[in-house]
Amino acid sequence: MRLPALFALATLGFAPAARAQDAVDFNRDVRPILSNNCFQCHGPDEKTRKAKLRLDTQDGALAASVVPGKPDASELIARVIAPHDDAAAMPPAKSGKRLTAKEVDTLKRWIKGGAKYAAHWAYIKPALPPVPQTKFDTANAVDTFLFARLEQEGLKPQPGADRYALARRVALDLTGLPPTAAEVEAFVSDKAANAYETFVDKMLAKPAYGEHFARFWLDLARYADSAGYADDPLRTIWKYRDYVIESFNANKRFDAFTIEQLAGDLMPNATVAQQIATAFHRNTMTNSEGGTNDEEFRNVAVVDRVNTTYLVWMGTSMACAQCHTHKYDPITQIEYFRSYAFFNNTADADRPDESPKLEFWSDKQREQKADLEARIADLEAQLKGRKPDEAKPERDALAGLKKQLAALKPDTSVPVMKELTGAQRRKTRLQYRGNFLDLGDEVTEGTPAALHAFPKDAPKTRLEFAKWLVSSENPLTARVIANRFWEQIFGTGIVRTSEEFGIQGELPSHFELLDWLAVDFQRDWDVKRFLKLLVMSNAYRQSAKVTPELFERDPENRLLARGPRVRLTAEMVRDQALSAAGLLSPKMLGPSVRPQQPNLGVSAAFGGSIDWQTSAGEDKFRRGVYTQWRRSNPYPSMSTFDAPNRDTCVVRRARTNTPLQALVTMNDPVYIEAAQALARRTIAHGGKTTEERAAFALQACLVRPTTQAEVSRLVKLYDDAKAKFTKDAAKAAQFATAPLGPLPKGVEAADAAAWTVVANVILNLDEMLLKR
Amino acid sequence: MHPQLAWLQATTRRTFLNGSALGLGALALSGLEGRSAEPSADKPLAPRKPHFAAKAKRVIYLHMSGAPPHLDIFDYKPELQKRDGQNCPDEYLKGKRFAFTSGVPKLLGTRQPFKQHGKSGVWMSDAIKPLHAVADDVTVIRSMRTDEFNHAPAELLLYTGFARQGRPSLGAWTCYGLGSESENLPGFVVLISNGVQPSGGQGCWGSGFLPSVFQGVQCRSKGEPVLYLSDPPGLDRDTRRMGLDALKDLNELQEKELGHPETRTRISQYELAFRMQMSATEVMDISREPQKVLDAYGAKPGAGTFANNCLLARRLVEQGVRYVQLFDWGWDFHGTNPNEDIRDGLTKKGTTTTQSVAALIQDLKNRDMLKDTLVIWGGEFGRTPFREGRTAGGQVLGRDHYPDVFSLMVAGGGIKGGYTHGASDELGFKVAENEVHVHDLQATLQHCLGFDHTKLTYRFQGRDYRLTDVHGKVVKDILA
Repeated sequence: MRLPALFALATLGFAPAARAQDAVDFNRDVRPILSNNCFQCHGPDEKTRKAKLRLDTQDGALAASVVPGKPDASELIARVIAPHDDAAAMPPAKSGKRLTAKEVDTLKRWIKGGAKYAAHWAYIKPALPPVPQTKFDTANAVDTFLFARLEQEGLKPQPGADRYALARRVALDLTGLPPTAAEVEAFVSDKAANAYETFVDKMLAKPAYGEHFARFWLDLARYADSAGYADDPLRTIWKYRDYVIESFNANKRFDAFTIEQLAGDLMPNATVAQQIATAFHRNTMTNSEGGTNDEEFRNVAVVDRVNTTYLVWMGTSMACAQCHTHKYDPITQIEYFRSYAFFNNTADADRPDESPKLEFWSDKQREQKADLEARIADLEAQLKGRKPDEAKPERDALAGLKKQLAALKPDTSVPVMKELTGAQRRKTRLQYRGNFLDLGDEVTEGTPAALHAFPKDAPKTRLEFAKWLVSSENPLTARVIANRFWEQIFGTGIVRTSEEFGIQGELPSHFELLDWLAVDFQRDWDVKRFLKLLVMSNAYRQSAKVTPELFERDPENRLLARGPRVRLTAEMVRDQALSAAGLLSPKMLGPSVRPQQPNLGVSAAFGGSIDWQTSAGEDKFRRGVYTQWRRSNPYPSMSTFDAPNRDTCVVRRARTNTPLQALVTMNDPVYIEAAQALARRTIAHGGKTTEERAAFALQACLVRPTTQAEVSRLVKLYDDAKAKFTKDAAKAAQFATAPLGPLPKGVEAADAAAWTVVANVILNLDEMLLKR
Repeated sequence: MHPQLAWLQATTRRTFLNGSALGLGALALSGLEGRSAEPSADKPLAPRKPHFAAKAKRVIYLHMSGAPPHLDIFDYKPELQKRDGQNCPDEYLKGKRFAFTSGVPKLLGTRQPFKQHGKSGVWMSDAIKPLHAVADDVTVIRSMRTDEFNHAPAELLLYTGFARQGRPSLGAWTCYGLGSESENLPGFVVLISNGVQPSGGQGCWGSGFLPSVFQGVQCRSKGEPVLYLSDPPGLDRDTRRMGLDALKDLNELQEKELGHPETRTRISQYELAFRMQMSATEVMDISREPQKVLDAYGAKPGAGTFANNCLLARRLVEQGVRYVQLFDWGWDFHGTNPNEDIRDGLTKKGTTTTQSVAALIQDLKNRDMLKDTLVIWGGEFGRTPFREGRTAGGQVLGRDHYPDVFSLMVAGGGIKGGYTHGASDELGFKVAENEVHVHDLQATLQHCLGFDHTKLTYRFQGRDYRLTDVHGKVVKDILA
């Protein structure tokens, strides 16, 4: 099959620009070849190592296979160029792998140059690189790195986007919502030199900012309102979601945010918020199916905590090392269980009641509770020493009170981490092939030797482990997190594999920029400041216009020779429609809500029905971040837009473009309701003429002035639809009112139905689904 | 370079359906030479060649959720009948865990009459009478084994090669490898009888880390066939078309202004959605079938039954859908109520469901499609040769979950007809010969579709993943 040109180009990828012409760089050029073709049998894992040969270290390579300076005398070269049917050929024929001529040439040049190894780039602590020079206009250091690269590539940045486009783009990126008409007008008419900065500050200060970035973090935290597995019962843990929203809004330092979530319970004088934060790792699944072994699934949860922690903060896939020493990265199985040991001593144990939990009682409940407890104590004192057959009335009263006390439930609760002490503490032992029943020697807490050292004098606790993650010596965390925020703002990470910074991950498109950003972020871990740095760059503010040539050259916009333009997330698509319709509720925090969803008529195998009763009042119009997240059946319209089920940590959501998405925004009653509301707004506030109204509706959604061509096309649609609905009153009434409800007085059904058709089209525009 | 790279660069241009002009039958003429390394970025569901020429082109997997009691269906154990009611020997219990049995249970011989059927003499009980007629078309594997004894993990292991959520399913791998031959329908369709989901949930048809375009789309035989497929009340097709025309014009203005090719893709996705509204509605409407076909399957228009789903499976593959997955709940024969009794309860469940299975096999054969359609019938594990602990005191006879050996039926698509593979030991506790682990079954199904299971891989988080994890060998003996 002939591949489209775009595809062929993409496979070349965007390796970082060569730093010195023609010099072979081990990390950039050689390691990927060895890693992809050799390490599986000749890498760090001793158990599967063939012929006692290892190629992941210089000693290993020099021992047998490589003669520095002499490619022709090196066995490595002889093997990779041996004919396919030669038994000595490498990689072996049955692997289906074969080096290309270019790869062989790279290896030869590398050997010729001395066969030097270098530590994997991401394991070397980032240092502040010098800021390069560029002839293009820059707003900050971000631009200097990006634009210097554009110069190297013979490209140039686009002019700045117009203020309307920019206002919508940055509002969506920082708050997940379009700006209000008033906010946009204030920005557009602001003559001050720092008008844009004022607008950005305003966006960062909105409470919607915290809701938007919480959504991003909740994917990493695998937050859900159910416990998972077959039964997938509902779980109460929304206090953790609120903690994340409030932390972002308060601009909590990222290092503190980290330590609280991993070990808030162990902090001295831990506050309630710090304890709630530890629910981060109580988002693991709990299995309540009959016959399951609680210890087995507790073990699965601990494994998930180890993997998630390394994945989220260090972009390192530890999962491989659970069963065997890592095939690519320098992490042994014993080291895996050393990390495991840090997490192996919390009190939770796959129990259906999710204990231990933090309970929240209202003052009134607390009073009731105290009162009952006092009365019980009183009666018990009275009954002390009396025979069992005496004082029946008192005994009855006591039983009644105890029942009342048991029935008293807290307002809400949240599962938390709680460290075991003394004799309760568990010993950690190596698990052969990751099997919790097949145990090896005892292993104590520790971190992998290839990473920065754990402070010698620090106790080996979860708290110190959390501090180790955000220590200034850590080469990974600042890079990984800076890259995640970059991905949120620019669409693709500087390291595209934002989940994998190890040897099998991709190299950064801009090495020095990433290091500069990491050092800068680590300076104060100030998230708002860091995000502001990104959106204040000229690169971010460019127009998104693209020529066919540039698109061909850089389809993914890795070089940023134009402004970022990617599809909105599932939550943003829905929130934006509700917002344009004037339906979106500003209510924040609290228990999760159940917006309208189709009746699926399905039930879980052993659980109850998956269908739900739609929340009443404004709760059905809350932001997507508050929608009840059932792992076995995530909200269907959002999962169609690539929202994950959050069984485990999701680092990167896909951004697909499918006809099923078209069906959602065309037909889902939620979007029809939004179209009806927008139609009614248009009739009430959009002016007198059809032209004025069409422009009003369009502007309400796109937050920009409209063009004559657009308005005329919508006017024609309105006229055609109106003519049809005028002939069919029943259909008009149906389409104008179901599900939103009866029309306001004086509004004609055919008119409202025709505007609903128009509104439905606007809500489906390409421009609505993407940033512009 | 990562194959994932190609995917991620294309994420914004992925299509759910194959938008090419290739329809069913056009594949042979399209002159595909060699296999492309990766699905096309623009049309990920366009048909692709497998690794090697293969007999099977499509799959219908009939899953009996809960796990059928194979000892009362396929695996005849006279010795177990002889020792019915005796204590289960200790050697079979030592070091084992069961879902609902502890202590020493009693051996339980089948109450179903067994006989050899067809010219080939495949053993089948009377619980599945309708299948007797197709005995010569099927292979029965009596030496299946799995690692899991609870429904959800066992189902996930069977479909994704891994006992927990998160890996791509067999259907997703199939569409990733082969694309689809339908222009207007999803490549991978899931049908669930009477609305009861399998325990493994959506993970059984998920795409895991593969692009979501490959995940199964649940269609329903009752109500709206695909979520949000119907136009909203009051909006007729003409008015919808009017709206779509305006949408197209406005999107073209946008494309002109910014020059993003994704806008073009979006326009085509809306057109596909419009076409799908028609074609999915048509294909899911079984009232278009002749009465005698409906009768053969036992299907009734408007019902949500397994019979309807079997007929729909045939209609879908006929339209070029690559993989159809059915789930039928009600096979968890613990003996907690009369429906779960291995006597009458099983006869009733077995007879009604296998009528549709036999009809499907016969129907595919009549249409000359059985030869290139894999049909699989079975559960996620087997059931114990002893009576389940909880219900031992009652009147109803049931069996507990059992992973060490069970039976499964495969037909069509390059599989032998009238063949029995492997055997359990005398009492049915262990595989006695030719063990087929679920990973081996996966490797074999992929082989039938033209894939070397060790080479159909996808790189994710730094590792090449495959359906069979690091296991699996092709069971050559069952290949025709």
